[in-house]
Amino acid sequence: MPSLRSIRSRIRSVKNTRQITKAMEMVASAKMRKAQQRVLDTRPYAEKIYELMHRISAREKSWSSPFFEIRPVQTIGILLVSTDRGLCGAINSNLFRTLLRFMKERPGVRFEFVTIGRKGRDFVRRGGYNLTGVIQGVKDRGTIEEILPATQLVIEEFSEKKSWQEAWIFYTQFESIMSQKPRYEKLLPIAPEVLAGSGQNANAGEYLYEPDRRDILDVLIPRYFETVIFQRVLENFASEYSARMVAMKNATSNAKEVIYGLTLTYNKLRQANITKEISEISSGAEAISQG
Amino acid sequence: MGFMLSLMTQERHLLTEEVDYIQAKGIEGEFGVLKGHAPFLTLLDVGEFLVRKGESVYSYFVAGGVVEVLQDRVTVLADTIERAEEIDGKRAEEARQNAIEALKQPVSSQSRLQYEQVLKREGIRLGIVAKRRSTRHPGRFGEE
Repeated sequence: MPSLRSIRSRIRSVKNTRQITKAMEMVASAKMRKAQQRVLDTRPYAEKIYELMHRISAREKSWSSPFFEIRPVQTIGILLVSTDRGLCGAINSNLFRTLLRFMKERPGVRFEFVTIGRKGRDFVRRGGYNLTGVIQGVKDRGTIEEILPATQLVIEEFSEKKSWQEAWIFYTQFESIMSQKPRYEKLLPIAPEVLAGSGQNANAGEYLYEPDRRDILDVLIPRYFETVIFQRVLENFASEYSARMVAMKNATSNAKEVIYGLTLTYNKLRQANITKEISEISSGAEAISQG
Repeated sequence: MGFMLSLMTQERHLLTEEVDYIQAKGIEGEFGVLKGHAPFLTLLDVGEFLVRKGESVYSYFVAGGVVEVLQDRVTVLADTIERAEEIDGKRAEEARQNAIEALKQPVSSQSRLQYEQVLKREGIRLGIVAKRRSTRHPGRFGEE
């Protein structure tokens, strides 16, 4: 039988926890709203440029740019976008599970990682995989500049050193507050097969380029990487905050239940003690009056 | 019948709508697009971007980026877009004056280039603002 005092102190500690989780829930929901807005603002551009690059690749058969060149795959570079902090439900572990499945489907391929977010870095280190680069301190209100090192690394490894034959990005897509999905996309090479499903005008002939297709590519390629990668990072932030909000909401309501249960036991115990004391006193008094 | 136009920057999605005609300033000169244009890809210069839908004409300030023209749709992926109404004339004038002042001093050729770009950009902004004020009724542009 626990003592009254120990129950009282447990109630107090659970109440403190509830206060913390409640505060975290509120912070996450405020941040989530902003992050969600940014995701919705940036999504159209990222989608359009992704489509556009692949459409160019589908229409141009005789293209001699390293970014469109398909080479036999020995090493795949993976850009792993994860959260910096925990307490956000299962979004990171879901993402890592998807990643492990992806790797298992490609035996004999070497994987190299560039991570954005601490959880992903820890995962790569723990698993003993090759960590090529770590991007730290990307903020949810940040600008594209913060992820530039990541885009530079990808371009360097893929087209300059040619040590990667493919580059993929892994992140958690924001669908709604209740639902976030782990997703992956091929960034490089820009291959036409991606559009195969929606290719009603895939054979509509080549573009007219003005000034010159090389000049246009020089403008498009960096924007392609920056926006797509940056947008995926924003998706991940929105996912993180909504997952954290939900997790903290659950924690708060759990704490409420625990407090309710503990208070009940506490009161029962208190009552039992009082009853016991009264019966002790009255039986004592009885004994005296009879004697 | 017109075509679908999507206007956006990396940070903002301004418009997706069916329009009849657009006119933009590409890096090799101005061009107009009607429905059924050949597939076309070009870079944008700093300039005015006009959209006509029915009787009304909308004006935008656009700087840098890419336009993709397909048979039935046009996508503008710009670095900067502002609606004509959003342009802050006062701020543009100030920036222009600052650049003019700065160019009076001897400066390195690189920052000279930068200032000249500012001058050009703000000049175009001011031009759009002025035009918007002078033309009472929209719908009067085209073969200028």
